[in-house]
Amino acid sequence: MRTIGTSIQRVEDERVLTGRGRYVDDVVVPGMLHAAFVRSPHPHARITGIDSTKAAAMPGVVAVLTGADMQRICNPMTIQMLQGYKSPAFFGLATDTVRFVGDPVAVVVAESRYLAEDACDAIEVGYASLTPVATIEHALDPSRPAIFADVGTNTLFEQSHTYGDVDAVFASAERVFTEKFRQHRYANVPMETRGCVANYDPSTRELVYTVATQSPHGVRFALSGILGIPADRTRVVSGDVGGAFGLKGFVYREDVAISAASKHLGRPVKWIEDRNEHLMASAHAREEDLELTVAARNDGTLLGLKAKLVMNQGSYPLLPFPSALFTSIMRVMLPGPYKLQAYSFDTTVVASNKAPYVAYRAPWEMETFVRERMLDIVAHELQMDPVDIRRKNMVTAAEQPIHMITGPTLERMSARETLDRSLALFDYAAFRDDQRKAREHGELRGLGIATFIEAAPGPRDMSAALGFGLGKERAHVRLETDGHLTVITAQMPHGQGHETTLAQVAADEMGVPFEHVRVVYGDTRYTPFSLIGTGGSRSATMASGAVLYGTRRIKEAVLKIAAGMLEASVDDLQIDEAMISVKGAPQRAVPLAQIAIMSYMAADHLPGGAQPLTEVDHDFDGDEGGWAQATHACWVTVDRDTGQVKIDRYLVVEDCGTMINPAIVEGQVRGGVAQGIGGVLYEHSAYDEEGQFLAGTFMDYLLPTTTEVPTIEIDHLETPPISPVNFRGVGEGGALIAPAALTNAIEDALAPLGVKITEQYLPPARILELTGTI
Amino acid sequence: MSARIRLELKVNGKSRELDVEPRKILADALREDLGLTGTHLGCEHGVCGACTVLVNGQAVRSCLMLAVQARGAEILTVEGVERDGQLHPVQQAFRESHSFQCGFCTPGFVISTLAFLAETPSPSEEEIREALSGNICRCTGYQSIVAGVRLASQKLAAETGAPVASGA
Repeated sequence: MRTIGTSIQRVEDERVLTGRGRYVDDVVVPGMLHAAFVRSPHPHARITGIDSTKAAAMPGVVAVLTGADMQRICNPMTIQMLQGYKSPAFFGLATDTVRFVGDPVAVVVAESRYLAEDACDAIEVGYASLTPVATIEHALDPSRPAIFADVGTNTLFEQSHTYGDVDAVFASAERVFTEKFRQHRYANVPMETRGCVANYDPSTRELVYTVATQSPHGVRFALSGILGIPADRTRVVSGDVGGAFGLKGFVYREDVAISAASKHLGRPVKWIEDRNEHLMASAHAREEDLELTVAARNDGTLLGLKAKLVMNQGSYPLLPFPSALFTSIMRVMLPGPYKLQAYSFDTTVVASNKAPYVAYRAPWEMETFVRERMLDIVAHELQMDPVDIRRKNMVTAAEQPIHMITGPTLERMSARETLDRSLALFDYAAFRDDQRKAREHGELRGLGIATFIEAAPGPRDMSAALGFGLGKERAHVRLETDGHLTVITAQMPHGQGHETTLAQVAADEMGVPFEHVRVVYGDTRYTPFSLIGTGGSRSATMASGAVLYGTRRIKEAVLKIAAGMLEASVDDLQIDEAMISVKGAPQRAVPLAQIAIMSYMAADHLPGGAQPLTEVDHDFDGDEGGWAQATHACWVTVDRDTGQVKIDRYLVVEDCGTMINPAIVEGQVRGGVAQGIGGVLYEHSAYDEEGQFLAGTFMDYLLPTTTEVPTIEIDHLETPPISPVNFRGVGEGGALIAPAALTNAIEDALAPLGVKITEQYLPPARILELTGTI
Repeated sequence: MSARIRLELKVNGKSRELDVEPRKILADALREDLGLTGTHLGCEHGVCGACTVLVNGQAVRSCLMLAVQARGAEILTVEGVERDGQLHPVQQAFRESHSFQCGFCTPGFVISTLAFLAETPSPSEEEIREALSGNICRCTGYQSIVAGVRLASQKLAAETGAPVASGA
C-alpha cells in the first residue's frame, strides 16, 4: 500500500500521548549533579569581584565555577564561518565584562536544583556599570563603547551587493518610493526550554553530552574544539526535543559551561533552564531595520529596489553560524517572485547589550515582510489594487525558466498560481463592497494578501547566489535480517514527525508495510554528519531524497537476488507488502525476509552469483531542487475603541509539491502562521532604552492561545515535479509570510484613517497610537 | 534546608508514599520522587499548562502546588490515562487528529481535555477554545487540537450512548 500522500498516524504519538516521551529533563544518570547560573542584572558592566565563599560552603554545594575557571578549562569561543565577520572571542561564563541582562557570570553545581538555586542567591558579584548599547541607534553611535574590546567596534559585518545598473534604472523611473521598516525583537519560545546532561568520564576521557538540540553534530563539533576533547570521544545524544524553531540549532555558552563543569568534576551535571532564563537569556530573533527604495513606472511596473539592512545581533554570536549569515538569504530572496531590472542590498550587522540573536523559523523573514508590505504601500500611492500590482510584476509559468535578478533559476515556481487560486476561493469584489459599506458605519475591516517563494531547497544555482552551500544530506539504510528496514538519518526531529515521514518514503520505495521501517536519529556515534541537523526546511527534500535513493539501491540488489531465484528478469519483478513476485504471476514469489536472511547468512551462495547489499550510505545533493511557495489572505476587523485586531478569516494556498503526509504539512503551515500572528499582535522580547529586559515571564511575553489563533483554511496545489524527489520544505513558510499578510490586512482596515504601517509589532496600544486615539 | 515531611497519596490508582521537603512542588515530586516524567514543566509559573494533572478530579497546575498539599489526594497523571494498555479515547482522538507535534505540551492538554469533557461532554468549538486557552502549544496553531477534542467528545459519547454536538 502506498502511504505517501496519506495522513498516516504518527509513530511519535504513541509515546508523546502517553507520557513515554524522553525529553532531556527526563534523563537521569547515576551520580548526577544539578546546575544553576548566576546571571547579570546589568546590560553592560565591568565585574569588580565575585565572592562565592558563602555559597561554596552551603550544604549540598559541590562546586562554583566562574569565568576564570572557563579560561582555565576551555579554549575561547569564536566564529570563523563567515568571511569578513568580526567575531569576538569569549567564554562560557563572563570573564571581566557582562554584556546583557542574563549574561551568565557563575555556575553552581549542587546535589539538587533547589540547592543550586539557593547557593546562587548567596554569591555576591560586584559590578561597575558601563554605558549601555541598547538599540541599533546606540550601536551605530561612535560615542558609545564597543561592547567587545577585542573587536573595537559595534559594527561586526558590512557587505554590499549590486545587480544590474541601479543608478540608470532609478534615473529612468517615473516614481521612486522610500520607506523605513522596523521589525521588533521576538523569539522562538519552544515549550521545552534548553537543557542538557553533561557526563565526562575521566577514565575514558569521553564526554557524553545529552542535549535538547536540532543538531547533535553541530554541538559535537563545537564542544570538541572548545573543550579540547577529541571528536571521537565527544558523543552528543538527543532524544525527544520539545520544540525549537531554530533556537536549538546552535551552541550556547551554557553548553560549554556545563560541559566544562562536568569535565572539571568528573561527574555528570544536569542543567534545565527555567522559563525566565529562557525568555531573558537564551536568544531572541528578528530585530532588523530595513530601508527600502522602489523605482517604478506610473502603471505599477517595478523597475528596481535598493535595500539597506541593519541587523541587531545582540551580544555574543552563537556557534557555529553567525546571524550575519542570514542576511545573505534576505539579500538573495528579497526580490521574491517579481521581475526587476536592478537591485542593490547593503548589510550592516551590529552588536548591542541584548541577548544573542538566533535563527527563528525563516530567519530571513524580513525580506518577505518588507517586500509584501512595500507592494501594498506602492499600490496605495499609485491608486492601484494590491492584487493588480502583484499580478503585473510576478513571474508567470510561461516566463520560466528565468533567473531572479540575484541569480537563482525560477523553474516550476508557482507563486502566481497560488495567488490566482486564492482569489478563486473567495469573492474579492464582494469583499471590497462589504468593506466600503462597513466603513460607512465606521467599521474598520481589512484584507491583506501576501505571497512568498522559498528555496526549499532551491535550484542548483542557489548556493552560488548565497555565497555558501548547505551541502549534501546523508542517510544510512539497512536491510535487517528479517526484511525490515532501519533508516538512520542526519535529521534531528523536534516535532516534524520524521520517524513517520521518512518511514513512509522508505516503505513505499521498498514495497514494505510502513510498520516495517524504523527511523533512528540523535546520536553522533552512528548518525551521519550534518552541521545543520534539522533546520532550513531541508528535511522534506534532502533527507527524503537520501532515504529514497538509499532504499532504492538496496531494493535493486534485492531484486537481482530474487530474479535469480524466481528465474525472471528484474524488470518483471515487483515488491508489495514485503513480498517479491513476478508481475502477472503472483504465485511466483519470494518473501523479502527470505532474501534478507540469505543476504546475511548465504552471501556467497546467492543465485547466479548475485551480490548482497544490506547497508548503504547515500548522499543526496537535492537533484534539481525546487521552490516552495504560498499566498496567504487574511481578513481582519480592528476595534476602533480598544485597538484590538480580530482575525475574521485566514486562507492559505500553498504548493510544496507532493505531500508525504498532508496532516503533517498542514500542521507545519498552521503552526508557522500562529507564530507569525503572535509576532505581530502579542510577542515582544522588550528592552527599555537602557538595555534592561522587560519580558521575563509569560505574563509579559504573551503567546497566542486557542482563543487568539483563528481557524486557518488551507488549499494545496501540486506543481508537476522537476526531479523525482518532489517533496518541498514547509517548515518556514507560515511564519515567513503571516506577518506580511496580517500587517497588510491591518493597514487596509485602517486605510480610512490614513495610517501607513512600517513596523511589525502592532499590539492594541500601538494600534490606538497609529489611529490617533491615544 | 528544612525537615522533610512524609505523606501518602494515591497516584494513578496506586498508593504512594513521598518523603519531601515542604518547598518541593508537586510536579518535581511526581517527576523526581515517583519517576513519572510524563508531567512536563514549561514555565514553572502557572501560565503554560504543560504540568496539568488531576487532583481529586480537578485540573491543577502541578508547578503551583506543593507536594505536601497533595497529602491524601488522588492524582491522575498522563501515565495513568491509558486503559488496559490501550490509548484512552481522548488520546486516540488526538492521535487520529494529528493534534500535536513536539509533544511537550501534550500531557497537559490530555489531562485538561479529560477534565473539560467530564464537565462538558458535548462542547461547541467556542467552548473547546475557551476551556483550553490555559494550555499553550507552540507547534500547531491549535486547530488540530480543537479537532482532537471534538473527536474525543464523539468517541466518549459513542461509549456512553449520549448525544453529541454536531459539527462545530
